[in-house]
Amino acid sequence: MKVLVAVKRVIDYNVKIRVKADNTGVETANVKMSMNPFDEIAVEEAIRMKEKGAATEVIAFSAGPAQCQETIRTALAMGADRGVLVQTDAELQPLAVAKLLKAVVDKEQPGLVIVGKQAIDDDSNQTGQMLAALLGWSVGTFANKLNVADGSVEVKREVDGGLENIKIKMPAVITTDLRLNEPRYASLPNIMKAKKKPIETLAPDALGVDVAPRLKTLKVEEPPKRKAGIKVKTVAELVEKLRNEAGVI
Amino acid sequence: MDFEPNQEQQMLIEQVRRFVREEIIPLEAKLDPDASELDPADHARLVEKTKAMGLFGIDIPKEYGGPDIDIVTRVLLAIEMAQHRAGLYVPCYGTFGGAGLAQIFEANEDQKERYLYPTLRGEKKAFFGLTEPSGGSDPAGAIQTRAERRDNGWVLNGAKLYISNADRAQYGIVFARTDSSKGRAGITCFIIDSDTPGFHVRRVVHTLRSSHYATELEFKDCWVSDHQVLGEVNKGFAVANDRLTRQRIPYAAGCIGVAIAAHEMAIEWAKMRSTFGEKLSHRQAVQWMLVDNEIDIRTARHFTLEAAEKARRGLPFKIEASIAKLTASEGGGRVVDRAMQIHGGMGMTKDLPLERWYREMRIRRVGEGPSEVQRMVIAREILGSNLR
Ligand SMILES: Cc1cc2nc3c(=O)[nH]c(=O)nc-3n(C[C@H](O)[C@H](O)[C@H](O)COP(=O)(O)OP(=O)(O)OC[C@H]3O[C@@H](n4cnc5c(N)ncnc54)[C@H](O)[C@@H]3O)c2cc1C
Ligand SMILES: Cc1cc2nc3c(=O)[nH]c(=O)nc-3n(C[C@H](O)[C@H](O)[C@H](O)COP(=O)(O)OP(=O)(O)OC[C@H]3O[C@@H](n4cnc5c(N)ncnc54)[C@H](O)[C@@H]3O)c2cc1C
Repeated sequence: MKVLVAVKRVIDYNVKIRVKADNTGVETANVKMSMNPFDEIAVEEAIRMKEKGAATEVIAFSAGPAQCQETIRTALAMGADRGVLVQTDAELQPLAVAKLLKAVVDKEQPGLVIVGKQAIDDDSNQTGQMLAALLGWSVGTFANKLNVADGSVEVKREVDGGLENIKIKMPAVITTDLRLNEPRYASLPNIMKAKKKPIETLAPDALGVDVAPRLKTLKVEEPPKRKAGIKVKTVAELVEKLRNEAGVI
Repeated sequence: MDFEPNQEQQMLIEQVRRFVREEIIPLEAKLDPDASELDPADHARLVEKTKAMGLFGIDIPKEYGGPDIDIVTRVLLAIEMAQHRAGLYVPCYGTFGGAGLAQIFEANEDQKERYLYPTLRGEKKAFFGLTEPSGGSDPAGAIQTRAERRDNGWVLNGAKLYISNADRAQYGIVFARTDSSKGRAGITCFIIDSDTPGFHVRRVVHTLRSSHYATELEFKDCWVSDHQVLGEVNKGFAVANDRLTRQRIPYAAGCIGVAIAAHEMAIEWAKMRSTFGEKLSHRQAVQWMLVDNEIDIRTARHFTLEAAEKARRGLPFKIEASIAKLTASEGGGRVVDRAMQIHGGMGMTKDLPLERWYREMRIRRVGEGPSEVQRMVIAREILGSNLR
C-alpha cells in the first residue's frame, strides 16, 4: 500500500507573525519557513507504517512555490521515499489544494492519504475533509492513534471532551492531531540519502486543476491587544464585575 | 567564498536547533543556573536521540567512528549547539558525545588501546596539563616541570596550574622538560594515569566559572615507564599541532552561537520595554548597540566560516583560525555585555542566561591561546619570520 502525505511550507512556529503595513497579508519576506508541524506528524506516521510493514511506499506531496521543494526534502530526510511538487506561485486555498491532491491521488492510487488537521498559518482545517468529499472516501479527522488492519483503519479521534474510536473503510483520508506521535529527527545518513531521492514537479494546468481563489481576502489585521486581567477575591465580587463592568450577565 | 549553508547543512542545522529548543532548554529550566551536568537518566535518554540522529561523537574523526561531517558543517552545528545557558561550557551537556584530546589520536597503537578507545567509548576522561605557575602563553619557555631518565622510564617533578577537570579524570597529558638546554625542542609529552604514585591534585582553584573549577597539580618523584611517552622524546610540541589549530575554529563557533542567542534576546526585549514613554528599540542609543551586535556577530561568523572553509580545502589556515578565535571571543563578549545592558537589572540576574554567558565568555579571551598570543601569531605571519 502506498501512503501519500501532504506537507505544507509555512512560517516557522517560532517566528513572531507580523502583519504587512498595507494590511494585505502577513510578512513573509526574509521570514524563516518550515514544514507545518501537523504535517511532520503525518510524515512520521506514514514512515512508521512503512517500518511496520503496513505501507510499501511513502510519497510526500506539496503545492506552492519552488521553495516547497525544501519542505519535501525534509520529508524525504525523515524517511519518505519520493516527492511530488505541484509548483505554482498562485495563492492556494484549501479547495484548490484538495483538488490538486485528488489529481495526484488519481494518478498514484494510494491506500491512505494522511494530512495535518490544519496548517498553522491559516488554521483552515478543511483540506483533508474536502479531499475525502472529492474522492468519495472515508475520512478520520483529528487522529490521536491509528491502526491499519484488513482493508480498514481504526482511528482514535480527539473530540471535544474526550476521545472517540471509529473504524473506517480504506482507501481513506486521515487528518493528524498533535498527540498522534512525536516526529523523529532527520538523521545525518537520511539527510544525505534524501539528496538522491526523486521529486517530480507538476503544474496545476497539467493536472487539469483551476486553482484560482474562490475566497477574497479583504483585509488582514493584528488581533486587538488584550487588556491585563485582574484578580478578584470573592465570587460575589466576580459576579458584580461581570454584571456592572463587563456587562456580560 | 560562499558561506551560505547548503540544503543538507540547513537541514542538519534545523535538527540541532530543534534538539536544543525541545530537549535541552526545557530540562535546563529545572537545573541550577550554574549546573554543568544533566540528570544521568536524561543524559542517557538524549544520547539515544543524538545516536539516532547520526550525530553522536560529533568531534570524533570519521575514521574512528564519528559522523561524516566536514569542519564547515561542524562549525554551523557548533553555532546551534551553544544556544542555551550552559552552551559555552558544555554544549548540549555533552549529549553529542565527547572526543579524545587532540594529541591522543596520534598515540601509538598500544596507547590508543589503553587511552583513546576507552575515552571514545565514554569510559575514561582526560585532563590536559600544559600551563604551569610560570606561565601558559609561552609554554616552551615557561615549562619547569622536569622529566629525568631513570630505570627505563622517566621521573617527573614539578607543578601544573589551572588544569580543568584533573580531579575527575582517569589520565592526562602532561608536558615536561626533558632537555633543559633546548627550549622548545626539549619538551616531551607524557600520558599520566591519575593513580600514578607521586602525582596528585594539590589544590582546587576557584574561578569565575562557578560550575566547575580548575586544579593545581603536583609531581613528586612521579615515575612512569617509556610506554607513557606520547610521540617522540623532545618533540612534545610537534604532536597534534594541526589538530590543535583546528580546534580553535569550533571553539570560536561556540562564542558565535551564544552571541546570536544574546542578541536575539536583546532585540525582543528592546521591542517590548518602554521607558520615558517610548520603546527602547526607538532609542538611537539602543539601536546602535543592536547594530554593533549585528556587526560583531557577522564579522565573527564570516571569519570563522572562512577559517573552516580553508581548513576543509586543505589550505593554510593558521592566521584564519587566530582571527576567528579573536573576533568570536572578543566580539562575543561585547555582544553579551550590550545585551545585558539593554536588559537593565534583569540582565544581571540568574533568571536569564546572560550573566553566565558573560562569565564564560570572559574566559574565552584567555583559554585556547589568549588574545595577545593570537595577535602575536598573526603579527609573525604578516611581518615575516625574521621577527622571531
Ligand atoms: C578556567 C580556566 C581553565 C583552564 N584550563 C586549562 C587546562 O585544562 N589545561 C591547561 O594546560 N591550561 C588551562 N588553563 C590555563 C590557560 O591556558 C592559561 O591561563 C593561558 O594559557 C594563559 O597563561 P597564563 O595564565 O600563565 O598567563 P601568562 O602566560 O602569564 O600571560 C598573562 C597575560 O599576558 C599576555 N601575554 C603573554 N605573552 C605576551 C606577549 N608576548 N605580548 C603581549 N601579551 C602577552 C597574555 O595574553 C595574558 O593576557 C585554564 C585557564 C582557565 C582560566
Ligand atoms: C544588583 C542590583 C541591585 C539593585 N538594587 C536595587 C534596590 O535596592 N532598590 C531599587 O529600587 N532598585 C534596585 N535595583 C534596580 C536598578 O536600579 C535598576 O535595574 C536600574 O534602575 C535600571 O532599571 P531597569 O532594570 O528597569 O532597566 P530599564 O529601565 O528597563 O532600562 C534598560 C536599559 O535601557 C536603557 N535605557 C532606558 N531608557 C533609555 C533611554 N531613554 N534612552 C536610551 N537608553 C535607555 C537603560 O540605561 C538600560 O540600559 C538593583 C539592580 C541590581 C542589578
